[in-house]
Amino acid sequence: MHTRGGLMAGNAVFGLALGFSLSNIGFGDYAELNHMFTFQDMRMFYTFVGAVVVASAGTAVLLRRRPAGMRIHAGVVPGAMLFGIGWAISGGCPGIPIVQVATGYLPAVVTLTGVAAGMRIYRWANGRYLRLDQGSCGL
Amino acid sequence: MDPDPALAAGSGVNGYWPWWAGALALGTITVGYALWTGRGLGVSGAWARVLNWRQVRQLEQLDHAFDDEAALHAAIEAATLQEFGQGSAPGGSAPGAYVASATGTPVSQTLNRPAPRPPAPASSSAEQRPMPVACYATLLVAIFFGGLIGAMVSGRFSVRTDMGPGFSQIVTGNPAVMVVLLFTGGLLVGFGTRMAGGCSSGHGLTGCSRMQPASILATAVFFGSAVCVSLLLWKVI
Repeated sequence: MHTRGGLMAGNAVFGLALGFSLSNIGFGDYAELNHMFTFQDMRMFYTFVGAVVVASAGTAVLLRRRPAGMRIHAGVVPGAMLFGIGWAISGGCPGIPIVQVATGYLPAVVTLTGVAAGMRIYRWANGRYLRLDQGSCGL
Repeated sequence: MDPDPALAAGSGVNGYWPWWAGALALGTITVGYALWTGRGLGVSGAWARVLNWRQVRQLEQLDHAFDDEAALHAAIEAATLQEFGQGSAPGGSAPGAYVASATGTPVSQTLNRPAPRPPAPASSSAEQRPMPVACYATLLVAIFFGGLIGAMVSGRFSVRTDMGPGFSQIVTGNPAVMVVLLFTGGLLVGFGTRMAGGCSSGHGLTGCSRMQPASILATAVFFGSAVCVSLLLWKVI
């Protein structure tokens, strides 16, 4: 499984499953997303919490080796805050705009461009000013 | 809080999966991905590596070129000096120095970007070493095709130049404002996920299911800020 071909196959299989699932759950639908964040419709919130519960159980039973996660560095809270604001405005956490484009929402290409630009700006800003030590290769 | 019955019924009409089906699917994908690849699923990390593919490729080649650990350390240190100037490199290039840097010294600045892989000591798991960049590209492309198949099968696929009625009603119906907001939102998502070191998949699903404190904190914060902004958009604007 950990050969190059095995890793490629794993990413292909689970990428397909992820895109298919996200599309059918409705994460790419801005109305559904806003209804979750405003507590008008808890379906997707339960989906997310349920997924964490399922993954926790699976992780506990099946994954013997769990690496130490990143420590709480100075970027976690402000970074997550900015991400949350961006997610609520654009409706895109980094995988979602891909699904939106695949559903036919052409303007999501703009969101993707913004994501790419944001990552680039962060790289520059962190190298030059912030110098956060994240102690991780990024999740 | 109970869901509004009308809206809950509405989501059934939309044909989206009930919460338990989505939970099973996402949970299984999170665990299955980790079992198969030995790495945590993280879409923002995949994006970052694909966007920096040039540097990542260079490091991959460097890694092949330097089987000798000492030579690799020297090369990384030289690159660090070049990038960040004097004073940023750690004193020695003893085999432990680079690994130790992950917790303190500025060499790990470089970790944050294309993620040079630490010369894996015997104890490190596969998880700490990034996959070849082509794997991350495959993941993103596969998400696209998975989404396309999902949209086709469910009959939701339709090419359109807006973001759907929800966005038009809640945020803006003006195309120019929409483009500005989507770009700005994307900018915040890109910047924020790299700063926080993960997104809804890396922190939210993978990290939370492993009970990692940084991920639980990040998830609480990004959900919290998204709720605040969404309430503002819905109620005020």
